[in-house]
Amino acid sequence: MASIVSVNSLSVAYRSGGQDVPVVHEVSLDVAEGQTHALVGESGSGKSTIAATLLGHLRHGSRITGGSVEVSGADVFALPARELRQLRGGTVAMVGQNAGHALTPSMRIGRQIAEAGGDVPVVDLLEQVRLPRPAELARRYPHELSGGQQQRVAIAMAIAARPKVLVLDEPTTGLDVITQRSVLDLIAALSDELGLAAVLVSHDLGVVAHMADEVTVLRSGRVVESATTRQLFAQPQDPYTKRLLASVPRLDDTGLAVVGEAGEREVRPRSEVPVDAPVAVSAQDITIDYGSTRAVHGVSFDVRRGEVLALVGESGSGKSTLAWSLAGLRTPSGGTMKHADGDLARPAQQRPLSLRRRVQLVFQNADTSLNPRRSVGDAVRHPLRFFGTAADRPEATERARQLIADVRLDPALADRLPAQLSGGQRQRIGIARALAGEPDVLIADEITTALDVSVQADVLRLLDDLRRERDLACLFISHDLAVVRGIADRVVVLRHGVVVEEGPTETVFADPQHPYTRQLMAAALEPDPDAQPYVDDTADWADAADGDDIWTEHGTDGHRVRRWRPLNAPVAEGAL
Amino acid sequence: MLSFITRRIAAAVGTLFLSSILVFLAVQALPGDVATQILGKDATPDAVAALREKLKLDRPAWERYWDWVWGALHGDFGTSLVSGKAVGGEVSMYLGNSALIAVVTVLFAVTGSIVLGILAGLYRDRWPDHVISTVSLVGMSVPEFVVATVLVLCFSVALPWFPAVVLYGPDASVSQLLPAVWLPALALAVVMAAYIVRMARTSVIDVMATEYVTTARLKGLSTWRVVTRHALPSALLPTLHVIALNVAWLVGGVAVVENVFNYPGIGKLMLSSVQNRDLPTIQAIALISAVVYVVCNLAADLATMALNPRLRTRGRTR
Repeated sequence: MASIVSVNSLSVAYRSGGQDVPVVHEVSLDVAEGQTHALVGESGSGKSTIAATLLGHLRHGSRITGGSVEVSGADVFALPARELRQLRGGTVAMVGQNAGHALTPSMRIGRQIAEAGGDVPVVDLLEQVRLPRPAELARRYPHELSGGQQQRVAIAMAIAARPKVLVLDEPTTGLDVITQRSVLDLIAALSDELGLAAVLVSHDLGVVAHMADEVTVLRSGRVVESATTRQLFAQPQDPYTKRLLASVPRLDDTGLAVVGEAGEREVRPRSEVPVDAPVAVSAQDITIDYGSTRAVHGVSFDVRRGEVLALVGESGSGKSTLAWSLAGLRTPSGGTMKHADGDLARPAQQRPLSLRRRVQLVFQNADTSLNPRRSVGDAVRHPLRFFGTAADRPEATERARQLIADVRLDPALADRLPAQLSGGQRQRIGIARALAGEPDVLIADEITTALDVSVQADVLRLLDDLRRERDLACLFISHDLAVVRGIADRVVVLRHGVVVEEGPTETVFADPQHPYTRQLMAAALEPDPDAQPYVDDTADWADAADGDDIWTEHGTDGHRVRRWRPLNAPVAEGAL
Repeated sequence: MLSFITRRIAAAVGTLFLSSILVFLAVQALPGDVATQILGKDATPDAVAALREKLKLDRPAWERYWDWVWGALHGDFGTSLVSGKAVGGEVSMYLGNSALIAVVTVLFAVTGSIVLGILAGLYRDRWPDHVISTVSLVGMSVPEFVVATVLVLCFSVALPWFPAVVLYGPDASVSQLLPAVWLPALALAVVMAAYIVRMARTSVIDVMATEYVTTARLKGLSTWRVVTRHALPSALLPTLHVIALNVAWLVGGVAVVENVFNYPGIGKLMLSSVQNRDLPTIQAIALISAVVYVVCNLAADLATMALNPRLRTRGRTR
């Protein structure tokens, strides 16, 4: 088959401090018509840079230092400005990572789509990306749409002029699993329908296994390995690829994976939580309101010492709100939240110091939660002094270095600024800072979401080690079921602020009972093109919790499910 | 949205009310009152008392404040102590002359500096940016009377294109004043432009680096379209307030420049009223300056709202 995209030993360099820093080094790849080619790699691998060159785009300060990019027979970087503009949108179109940022805020979406050219009416395009009430939607502004809707609009914009090649740069990274799945399905359907070739940039090997025909693995701007998807996932050749694949948490892992140098994988079994472990935090019937909207309705849970309890759900399920409330950043409007040392149902500044230091939060984004002008050693030392866990300055400095060593970092890093550390190192500092107060409860709010997969594996293992060593009660917030499967002892599934299912991780994953849990499981993507996906065979359903009759118990290990009933079930016919 | 506008307007009225009190109190706090000013140092206490009664100065301050505000609302600011004419008419005549400079300055300085700022932002770190940034910085650093003097030297003395000073009184017609407007306007524009250029440049650079501008470029749109449709509406938002502050600053800024050119505007009137201790006129000018400031900022806020759909559509449900 003829290749429509052909990248020939492309090199790109970035000019910094009077020197050329190479970001892409002699990369070659071909994409055949109608095929999807994935570029996989961790941050800094140059995958997005390569993808953008297909549209003749380079970041400010970058330039081509060698090679060429041909799309549909034309050398992209040799095109005159006018023809380059026709190529963009006309032949190649791009869907970016964050549609919320990719749409112009001051312009109605209908006009933004119309601007992309092509003869297809805007309303038809919006219909094609399965958006409801397209005529009305076209008159809206981007901020009036949800994240999933915005990404659909970005896709409509990309296919408006009926291009031949679609460049997808992390198209679903900011979306939760269920929305991700539906957007990916939409892209796959449209690619088939319009006969599009696609270049998919992703760090998520599950997405790649699901979407791509061929894969190129990149590392520091060089090609590590290139193969068909099936071959790459079944028999990776390069040790780096093997390590990358082995680092991805799987839905059927019964613990955290430990990955060796050559990519061998061993699953470390979870440590048993002693039956008599004391309860560290107990939440009963918590409700939390934002103005007149109720974010959390009557949620109850206990976390015991040495136990990891995962809160799972898509965005808007109230899981982060609960975490913030426990940390004292938002007062619940109802219910009780108790710690062995006192009442948690009040804001952090009203908690006594002794209680405050017992419950600590690790933020999702370590890069924005650390003061950029303060050394990371200072960031860890400050709470030591504040909570009085270190008597004087020299002791605090010593303890801070010890804490940095405890999170498996070199204490010499203490003098660095956050910007001088990698994402994984910053997140470890975030954990060290939380540990400074000697907490017994640690709240981890999506702490690995922004990290590369191998770094994520390390941070998860660190968290697991720390809770064993320090007997921590850990509330782990995540939307990633595979991650949760590896680390959590128990799972609470939240939907729209309501608990729909809870129980021991093994039981819930082996036999999910609530249709929403099943839907989440079905939407999760495994890094294996031949994976037998979990099939969600439940039709529509409705909540059937009624008064005090809320739960259906399954077994004796605490696995319980909120009552629900199927809609349009055959039973209904007989009943009528 | 409506509630936002109403709240904003209410705040503007409140600000004006407070500033009218401040202006009135400040003038009250000056040693001596209108009666002593009129009669001079050697007046007998009896004469002063009689004049006070005639001018109703013997009544409590709040009553006089109320009379003043009530009058001001109807365009009556009292009588000038120097000319004996109505302050309202006098001030509006000078103000009209200044407005002529202001309009010319705003038209050229604001449009010019926005265009220059956008150019500097688009050609960031290349020669147009360097030239524009350097020149505007120099303009910002040099005081306006120096700029005005240099302009006179260049365009009145060396090249006799424009008059160096105005020989007409405040009642001159627009056509008489028009030739004299350009140099003062240019002097003000040079000083004012720097702030607007720098603000516009920074926000254009910020906006041009956003993902949505990149997306618009990668849609294959022309640079012109990308800049005018996608970048400018967002880039102008922060610039608007700088423009508003600068336009308001003009009211005070003209004082120096008008004196250099002997231009019969509000700045000149202000200076002479202060020298002559013409209290009603000072009071009127102070109040009018406050009005200009408040109106300019209100206009900037409302324009921001019009340009920002997040504010415009607030309250609309998803």
